[in-house]
Amino acid sequence: MANNRLRGKPDEVLKPEVLSPGLERAPANTDLDIREGRFQRWLALISALSSALSGVEVAYEHYKGSYSRRVMYTPVILSGVLVAGGMSGFFSRRAARTILPAVSVLTLGDCAVGFYFHVRGIHRKPGGWRLPIVNMVMGPPVFAPLLFGVSAYLGLLASFLRRGEAAGSGILPLPAHPNHWAKFATGEHEPISWTQDVREGRFQKQMAIATAVSAFFSGFEAWYSHYKNNFRYKAQWTPVIIAPMLMAAGIAAVKSPRIARTWLPAISAVAIVDGAVGFGYHARGVLRRPGGLKKPFYNVIYGPPLFAPLLFAACGFLGVLASLLRREKRR
Amino acid sequence: MNSQTERVDTRPVNTRTGKPIGPISQPGYYPGFSTLAQQKFWDAKTREVVLDRVINVPEIRFFSQQEARLLEAICDRILPQDDRDESHKIPIVPQIDRRLYENSHDGYRYEDMPPDREAFQLGLRAVEEIAQHEYRLGFLEIGPREQDRILQSLHDGKPSAAHEIWKRMAVHRFWMLLVSDCADAYYSHPWAWDEIGFGGPAYPRAYMRLERGEAEPWESEEKRYQWKAPDSSVSGVFEPVAGQAEHLGSPGQGGTH
Amino acid sequence: MLGSIQRIETPMHRFSEAEEVDYVIVGVGAGGGVLLQRLARAGFRVIGFDAGPFWDTERDWVSDEKGAHNLYWNDMRITAGEHPLAFGANNSGKGVGGGTVHWASFTPRLHPSDFSIHSTDGVGVDWPIPYSDLKPYYELMELELPVSGPSYYPWGDPHGYPYGPHPMGGVGDALIRGCTNLGIGVSAGGPVAILSGSRANRPHCIYRGFCIQGCKVGAKASTLITHVPDAIENGAEIRPNCMVSRIHVGATRRVTGVSYFDSDGRACFQKAKAVIVAGYSIETPRLLLNSACPGFENGLANSSGCVGRYLMAQAGNVVLGRFEELVRMYKAPPAHALTEEFYETDPKRGFARGFAIQTVGPLPMSFAKQMMVAKGAWGWGLRSVMMDYNHWAAFGFLGEILPNADNRVQLAEEKDRLGIPIAKITFNLYDNDKKLIEFGKNKTMEVMWAAGAQEVVQEARYAHLVGAARMGDNPETSVVDQFGRTHDIANLFICDGSIMPTQGSANPGLTIMALAARAADYLIAEGEEIFKPRTRNIRKPPMRRDLSPPDTWGHGMPRI
Repeated sequence: MANNRLRGKPDEVLKPEVLSPGLERAPANTDLDIREGRFQRWLALISALSSALSGVEVAYEHYKGSYSRRVMYTPVILSGVLVAGGMSGFFSRRAARTILPAVSVLTLGDCAVGFYFHVRGIHRKPGGWRLPIVNMVMGPPVFAPLLFGVSAYLGLLASFLRRGEAAGSGILPLPAHPNHWAKFATGEHEPISWTQDVREGRFQKQMAIATAVSAFFSGFEAWYSHYKNNFRYKAQWTPVIIAPMLMAAGIAAVKSPRIARTWLPAISAVAIVDGAVGFGYHARGVLRRPGGLKKPFYNVIYGPPLFAPLLFAACGFLGVLASLLRREKRR
Repeated sequence: MNSQTERVDTRPVNTRTGKPIGPISQPGYYPGFSTLAQQKFWDAKTREVVLDRVINVPEIRFFSQQEARLLEAICDRILPQDDRDESHKIPIVPQIDRRLYENSHDGYRYEDMPPDREAFQLGLRAVEEIAQHEYRLGFLEIGPREQDRILQSLHDGKPSAAHEIWKRMAVHRFWMLLVSDCADAYYSHPWAWDEIGFGGPAYPRAYMRLERGEAEPWESEEKRYQWKAPDSSVSGVFEPVAGQAEHLGSPGQGGTH
Repeated sequence: MLGSIQRIETPMHRFSEAEEVDYVIVGVGAGGGVLLQRLARAGFRVIGFDAGPFWDTERDWVSDEKGAHNLYWNDMRITAGEHPLAFGANNSGKGVGGGTVHWASFTPRLHPSDFSIHSTDGVGVDWPIPYSDLKPYYELMELELPVSGPSYYPWGDPHGYPYGPHPMGGVGDALIRGCTNLGIGVSAGGPVAILSGSRANRPHCIYRGFCIQGCKVGAKASTLITHVPDAIENGAEIRPNCMVSRIHVGATRRVTGVSYFDSDGRACFQKAKAVIVAGYSIETPRLLLNSACPGFENGLANSSGCVGRYLMAQAGNVVLGRFEELVRMYKAPPAHALTEEFYETDPKRGFARGFAIQTVGPLPMSFAKQMMVAKGAWGWGLRSVMMDYNHWAAFGFLGEILPNADNRVQLAEEKDRLGIPIAKITFNLYDNDKKLIEFGKNKTMEVMWAAGAQEVVQEARYAHLVGAARMGDNPETSVVDQFGRTHDIANLFICDGSIMPTQGSANPGLTIMALAARAADYLIAEGEEIFKPRTRNIRKPPMRRDLSPPDTWGHGMPRI
C-alpha cells in the first residue's frame, strides 16, 4: 500500500465515499481534471492518427479488392469520420463526450462486420479454411478490420476520460512513482490522489489488454505476410518475435504492476523502434519494385504495406502508454 | 542391339566431376521434388486424369511391332532418357501410338503434309531408308552417334535419302511433328514436371509466391549441377531448325495470347 | 463454400421439335453468348446451337495442359499459303463459351484510329462505324465481365477499369523492368477479364496460371459463366453437341431455319424466323459457303464474293528470355501486363499501324515446342533447356496484319465425319506485315534485353482470327452491315469476330462482345420488324442498360 499512499497534498480528498472500493468517479478537483484531461485530448488525437493510418491502408487494400462489395467503402469512410471525431475530441470537450464515442461505436460495429466478411471471404476461396495458410495469405487479411477496431476502441476510451483546460501539457501523463523510468523523459513525477489511482488503475489494465490484443492482430498479420515472402530478409522475423513478447507483457501487466512498469514499456519501446525500422524497409521495398518510382501507385499498393509497420509501432506506443498509467491497488 | 552401342556411353556427364549422370530416379535441378506427392491438393477430376496417365500405359495398337521398335529408338534420341533409371523412364511411343490409334489430332493439317498416321508411317520408312543409304545398316543397328546425325539432318532439312517420301511430306514439318509428339508425351508426365520444377496442377490450391521465382512452401529450391550432353550425341548443341525463318507454326501448339 | 459458378436456378426450357423459334444462334461463344442472353432477356424465343459440349467446369475441365485438349476445335481444317496459320488450340474453341473458355482474357479495346485506317494511313479499310458508336458497349462489357485493370489506361481512348489491377508474376515484372528501363509506358495488372475481387458466386482469381486450360475457379470470364446462365434463366435453350450443317433459304429468299446433326448424329431441322451465325472466322464462312443453294450458288450472303475473304490473324511472335534469377512463369495468369506504346502508326518506322507487347506464360508442353523452334532444341539440348524452364520469361508480340482479299477461307474437297466439306484456309504475309513483324519482333526482344535477360530468342507464330465476313456500308465490298445484318438476306445475321474489317493490335474478344451487344440492341429495338419481309432499317438503336446479367451493377469502382 505504501506506494499508493497519498503524497504531497494531505488536505486532499480522503472522504469516506472516496475511500470506498468500486467508486467510479472522484469529486471534481483541479489536479485530477488536469491530469485526466490532458490525457483525453491526447488519446483522442492518437485515435485520430491511427485511424488515419488504418484508413489509408484500407483504402488501397480495398482498391486491390476492387470494392467488389459496396460495404467495402464503409471502413474508408468511417476512418475519415473517426479522424474527424478524434480531432474534434481534441479541440472540444463536448465533442469528446458526444461525437467521438458515437463515431467510435459505429466504427467498432463496422470493424466487427469487416471481420465477419474477411473470415467469410477466406472461407469462400477455393479450398476455404481447409487450405488455411494459402487462403489467409492470398485472401482478405483476416485481422486487419480488428486492428482498425483498436483505433476506434481508443476513441471510445477517450470519451470516458475527463479533460482539463490546461494548455501546454505533455503528450504523456506524468508518472507517479518517484523512481519510474519515464522520469527521465518527463523530468518529474506527480503525486496524485488515491481516487485518481482508482480511476486510472482500471485504465492501465484496459490499456495493457488493448496493447496485447493489438499486438496479436498486428503480429499475426506480420507473420503470414512475411511468410508469403518466405522470410527472405532476416529482419522480417523481428515483428513476429516481438509481437508475442509484447502480448505476454501486456497480459502479464494486468496481474503484475511490476511488469507493467518494467517489461511492458521495455518491449513496447522495442516494438516502436522495430516498427519504425520496418517502415523504412517497406519504403525501400516499394522503391525497389520493378519500375520503382515510375509506377508509384502500383508499387505502393502491391509492394510491402507501408503503414503496417507503423501500426505495429502504434501497438508499442499503447504499451508505453499503459506503463505510464496508474493502476488500481487490490485490497 | 549392336556391339557398337554397348561400348558407347549415352549418358550425360557432370562437368564438375567428369562422371556420367545416371541412371537415377529423378534428374534435374529439383531433387526430391514431387508433384504427385501433392495430389491430395488437386481436384478429383484432375487427379483422375493425371494418375491415369502415370499408371495406365497404353498398349501398342496402331504401329506394328517393328515400327514401334524403330520409333522407340528414334524417340530415345529425340528425347533421350539415359540419365533416368528403368523404372522412371517416361513412356513416349505408347502415347504417340494411342494418339494415332484414336486418330486424334490438333484440328488442322498443312497442305504439304499427309494426315498424321500416314506422316508417321512415311517418316519411319524414310529414316530407315536414310540409315540404309548412309551405313548399309538399319537404324536400330547403327550407333547412337550415327542415329543422332541422321536425325540432325532432318532437323536441318537436309536428309540424304528417301527423297520420294520427302516429295509427299515437307521434311521440316515432319520433324516438328515428331519432336512435338515426343515433347508432349514427356512433358505432360509428372516425373518431367518434377525434373523441371513445374508446380503441376493447381486447383483448388494455387500459388502465393508469384514474384522473383520464389518457391511455394511445398516446392523445392533449385540445386543446379553443371552437365553436358554425352560425346555420343550431337543434339546437345543448339542450331536453328529448318523452316524457322518462315512463319512456321509448329504443330500442336497451344494458344498463348 | 461459394455456390457452384454454374448453378442455374431454373431448368433449361426446351422448345418442341416442330416449334418455330424467333432466333437460332449458331455458336455460343463470345458473340453468340452475349446475343443469346440479350435476346432471351428481351423476351424472344431463342435457341443457341454449339458443336461442342455444355461444359461442367468441375467435371469436364482439368488443371492439366494435356488434358485441356478437348476444349478446342480439333476437327480437320486444311491450312495453306506461304505463311500458313495453325488452328486448333491456337485460336479455335469448341463448346459453350467458345474461345472465351480458353482465352488468356486480355481485353483491351480497339483504338479510335482502328476504325478509319484507310482514311488516315491509306491501308486496309474503314469501319462503317466510328469508335464513339462502340464506346458505350465497351464500357458496358467491361462491367459485365468485368474487366480488371489500372485506374488510368493511357492508350487509345484513355479510360479506367471498374475492377482493380492484378498482382504481377515473374513475367509481368520483367515486362515492367524492360519497359521502364526503355522509358516506355506499361499497363500492370490488366486489362484482363479476370476477377480481382469476388463477385456473386465467382471467386477472386487464385493465380494458378491455367487460364488457357479453362478457369475452374470461375474468376476468368467466359460467356459460359457470365451470360449463358442468365440466358437460360430467361428461357433460352442451348443445344450442345449439335453441328449446324446448313442454313436453309426459302422461296422468299429469306432463311427459314437450320439443318443440324444432333448429339446422336441424327439429321434434324429447326425452324426459325431469323438466324444469327456466330461460329467465328473459320466456321462462319464455312457454313455460309456450305449453305449454297439455287439463287445463292456462291454461298449465302456472298453476292460481294467477300465471304471467306479478308481473313486476318495477328502476328503473335513469342519472345523468350532467360534470366539469371528464377522466374517460375507458370504462376499467375499468363495475361497480366501489356504495353500499347507502339500501337499507332509512326511514319518514321516505314510501315503502317503497329503492335502491342503482352505477357504470356507458356506451360511446359507449349514451352518445349517454342524452344524447338526458337532455339532449334531437340535431344539433349531440349532436355537441358527444359531443365532451365524456371529461368525463362516470355513476351507475346501482337502485331496488326492488314486485311487482304487473298487471305481467305474456302471449302476443301475433303469432308468431315458428318459429310460436310471442311474449310481450307490460305494465308500469306504481305509487305507491310513483314516490315511490321520485323520491327515489332526486334523491339520486343529489345524490351526483353532491357529487362535483364542474358539470352533472348523468338518464335514466329500467330494469334487470334477475325474477318472473313466483314461489315461495311457497301454491299459490293462487304457481307454485313454495321449491325451484322447480311446485305443479301434480311433475316440472316452474322455476329462474331468474322465481321471485323480490321483488327488493330488488340485482342479481339472484348470488341466481339461489344459488337454483339450493340447488334442485340438493334435487334431488340427493331423487334418484330426483323421478321417481316418488307423492311430493313439502319436506325441506331437506343442503348439498353437494363438487359445486362444480374450482378453487373453494384460492384466495383467508379472509373475514368
